[in-house]
Amino acid sequence: MVESIKETVVAGKLKLIEGVVREALDNGATADEVLDSMSVAMDEVGGKFQRNEIYVPEMLVAAKTMQRGVGVIKPLLAGDGIGKYGKFIIGTVAGDLHDIGKNLVSMMTEAAGFEVIDLGVDVPADRFIEAIKENPDCKIVALSALLTTTMDAMKNTVEAIEAAGLRGGVKIMVGGAPITQEFADSIGADAYTTDAASCAEKAKELAS
Amino acid sequence: MIIIGEKINGSIPSMGKAIAERNEKRIRSMAKKQAAAGADYLDCCASVNENEAETMRWMIGLIEESCDTPICIDSPNPHVLAEVIADCKVPGVVNSVSGEGDKIETIFPVIANTPWKVVALLCDDTGIPKSAADRIRVLDRIMADADRYGIKHDRILIDPLVEMLCTSEDGIAMLLEVIGYIKEHYPQVHIVCAVSNISFNLPYRKIINEAFTVLAMNAGMDAAVMDPLNRDLRGIIYATEALRGNDFYCMDYIGAFREGIFGPVEEETK
Repeated sequence: MVESIKETVVAGKLKLIEGVVREALDNGATADEVLDSMSVAMDEVGGKFQRNEIYVPEMLVAAKTMQRGVGVIKPLLAGDGIGKYGKFIIGTVAGDLHDIGKNLVSMMTEAAGFEVIDLGVDVPADRFIEAIKENPDCKIVALSALLTTTMDAMKNTVEAIEAAGLRGGVKIMVGGAPITQEFADSIGADAYTTDAASCAEKAKELAS
Repeated sequence: MIIIGEKINGSIPSMGKAIAERNEKRIRSMAKKQAAAGADYLDCCASVNENEAETMRWMIGLIEESCDTPICIDSPNPHVLAEVIADCKVPGVVNSVSGEGDKIETIFPVIANTPWKVVALLCDDTGIPKSAADRIRVLDRIMADADRYGIKHDRILIDPLVEMLCTSEDGIAMLLEVIGYIKEHYPQVHIVCAVSNISFNLPYRKIINEAFTVLAMNAGMDAAVMDPLNRDLRGIIYATEALRGNDFYCMDYIGAFREGIFGPVEEETK
C-alpha cells in the first residue's frame, strides 16, 4: 500500500495520488506512514535528478504530487509531521526576478519536511531580516540569484543579516547559476548546493 | 494529436508490389512497426483496380493479427468501404467521404449507429474548390448530412485538403481560413491533414512538412495522416503541443522522448 504511494509520487501521477493515499488510509496505514513514504519517494526523485536521470519538470510534478497527497493527510497529522525539520526562509535577492530555481528549491525542501516561507523575488535584505525576526525559530535562510550582477546583492544580504545581529541563529544557504563554492565561501555563507535536490538534502543536514 | 499511420497503402510503390505479390510478411511488419511507434489508427488502402474489397479484407486480417491498433479503411470507392466495415473487429475510421457522388448516402447510414469515425474531404462533384468560401459550402453540407444521420461531430475528421505549396499563390492562407471556420462553427470536429501533400515538387520536403505541421496545428489541425516512424515530425508534434499549452509540464513530450518516439537514434550494437 505504502509502496504504491511511493511509486505514484515518483511517477508524478498527480491525478491518482489522492485516491491512492485514501486507499492506503482505508487499509490501515497511518498518516505518518503515508508521509514517510512520500518523503522516501522525493528522496528517490531527488537522487534521480542529481544523476540526470529525470528532467526538471518531472521533479516538479513529483513534488506537486506529494503536495497534493499531503493535502489528504494534513487534517490527520498531529501538526509536527509537516515541517518536522523546522522553518526555511527563501527568496531571490534584490534586483533579481528569477524564480524557477527558487521555486524548485521551495518545493523540494517542503517535500523534504520543512515549513517553507517563500519571500518571492527581488527581496531586499531588510525583508529577509524582518522574516528572520518574525520567525525566531527558523534555522535556515536560503538566497537565490541567477544573475552575475545580483551576486553582490547576495553578499550584501549576508552582511546585513550579520549587522542585524541575527547571523548566529541561522544557517545561510546560497545557490543559483553563477554561484560557486568559492563565492559562497567568500561571502561567508554556510552552504552552497548545485541543485534543488541537493539543497533539500543539505538543509536537512543543517537542520538536524 | 491523432496519428493515422500511412504506410500500408498500395499507392506507395513498394507496398503496391507487396500487395500484388500477397506478401503477408511485409504488411504484418509494417503494421507492427507503426503500432509500436504509437499510431492511433493504421490506414489500409489496397489501391488495386480489381477485387478491391477482397484485397482489403486480406489486408485487414493481416493488420488485425499483427497489432491491436484500429484500422482506417481507405478507398475512393464508398461501396467497398461500406462492405469491409463489417470485417474489422474494432471500430476505426472510414477514409473517406466527400461531397462527391453518393459517398455520403452510402457511408453515413452504415456508420450512423456505430462508434466508427469518418474522414470527410471538402471536395465535391466540381472537384477541389479553389476558394475558402466554396470549401466551406461543401463543409456545411456534409455537416448538415451528419446531423441528419445523428453522427456526432467528434466522430468526424474534416480534411480541408492540403494542396502543394509550390503552385499556391497565398501559401496556406486559404487553408487556414477554412480551418478557422471549422474551429469556430464546429468546435467538436477534428481536423485532419495529409501533411506531406504540402511539399510535392519541392526539394528537401521534410522541412516544408515540418513547418506546415506547426502552423496547421496552431490553427487547429489535431490529426494527421503521416508516417508514424518519422521521428523528427513526431518530435515536432509533441513540441508544438507543449508550446501551445496542451502538455502539462511537458510530461507527454518527455514521455515520448523516453519511449524513443523521437530523438537521436542510438547506435545499434554490432
